[in-house]
Amino acid sequence: MKSKTFRKLAFAIVGLCLIFTIVHMVYAIHAYQHCSIIYFIGKELW
Amino acid sequence: MVDVSSKKTLVKQLSVLLLIVAIFAVFNLSIYYVLTRRLANNFSDTSQAKMIDVAAYLPHNPESDLVRIDSSLKLTENLLVLDGAAALVPVYAAFVDNVYPKGSVTFEGGTFSDDNFYGENFAPDSKMQYKNTVRGYEAIVDGTTDILFCAAPSAEQKKYAEDKGVELVYVPIGLEGFVFFVNENNPVDNLTVEQIRGIYSGEYTNWKEVGGSNRVINPVSRLAGSGSQSAMDAFMKGQEIKGKSPFALTGGSIGFSFRYYMDGMVGNDSVKMLSLNSVYPSAENIKNGTYPVIAKFYAIYRADNTNENIPVLIDWILSEEGQRIIEETGYVGIQ
Repeated sequence: MKSKTFRKLAFAIVGLCLIFTIVHMVYAIHAYQHCSIIYFIGKELW
Repeated sequence: MVDVSSKKTLVKQLSVLLLIVAIFAVFNLSIYYVLTRRLANNFSDTSQAKMIDVAAYLPHNPESDLVRIDSSLKLTENLLVLDGAAALVPVYAAFVDNVYPKGSVTFEGGTFSDDNFYGENFAPDSKMQYKNTVRGYEAIVDGTTDILFCAAPSAEQKKYAEDKGVELVYVPIGLEGFVFFVNENNPVDNLTVEQIRGIYSGEYTNWKEVGGSNRVINPVSRLAGSGSQSAMDAFMKGQEIKGKSPFALTGGSIGFSFRYYMDGMVGNDSVKMLSLNSVYPSAENIKNGTYPVIAKFYAIYRADNTNENIPVLIDWILSEEGQRIIEETGYVGIQ
């Protein structure tokens, strides 16, 4: 793979992963603020 | 040689790409494992606010789980709109069931549906509503509800009424234990009131400091303005609830609620209520006053509401019949 192609591909993959991670974090923060704390604590691992 | 070199470069490049994907995958899986997995019941807006199964407490439905008595009070006109907190739906739905005529509770589209954000579809003209605490306080101040059944208001809710020039009357109608709970596998069964205040004020950050195992404490709070968060603010007696490190999410959590809501309505076996000062929050210990954190719950109405049925219904709620409904539902009567 040409170095230029590799860089483009790497940037694209990082971008996709970043978008996925940001969406995941936004969802998690939103859901955490509205979740049932009883359920949340009940699912805790010890 | 060129081919071998190219292959090596390609393998390196692919390895780098795989490493990038792996780093993100590990990060997201960690977040999922620690947090997202535990929010699974809130995945959609529809299920997000379903704190209770309203369908189980619909008045005038023989299958509803409501206390039914031979009520001496039957109202037929000038019916009051009753609304309240999730934890008190079984109480005020039983009031409606015992006192109001059939047909006084109506639904948008004609039949009950819980397929919306708040988990209910009471019609605007229905005499029973379920807006829960935050929206319920707004409704009582704005005049769309006649009596709200709730825990004590937050400072913001009091200010909202003051800003609108509305005087609210708070009539205590029952008692409830304010309880703290942890995961069933947390070895701690008892804390003192001061230890809990210390946990939420940031003085204690590890369970081993309060007799538990070596694990970070995750003190969980509720939505501002909810009944239990207002009760928690009162419990802290002026001590500030400190923010916590994001890493606390990996620790052992402690949360708070009201006893009957937690034990009687939600009934999650994966959590356990803690004894406070070595007293377990049983109905008996709340009634005999040995449990140290008891909260009143109220029937709240606007002082300028002229509906003649307000004193009639309030008197009946405070009578032997109304108090019997409160007690048989699972709460402790005020009388």
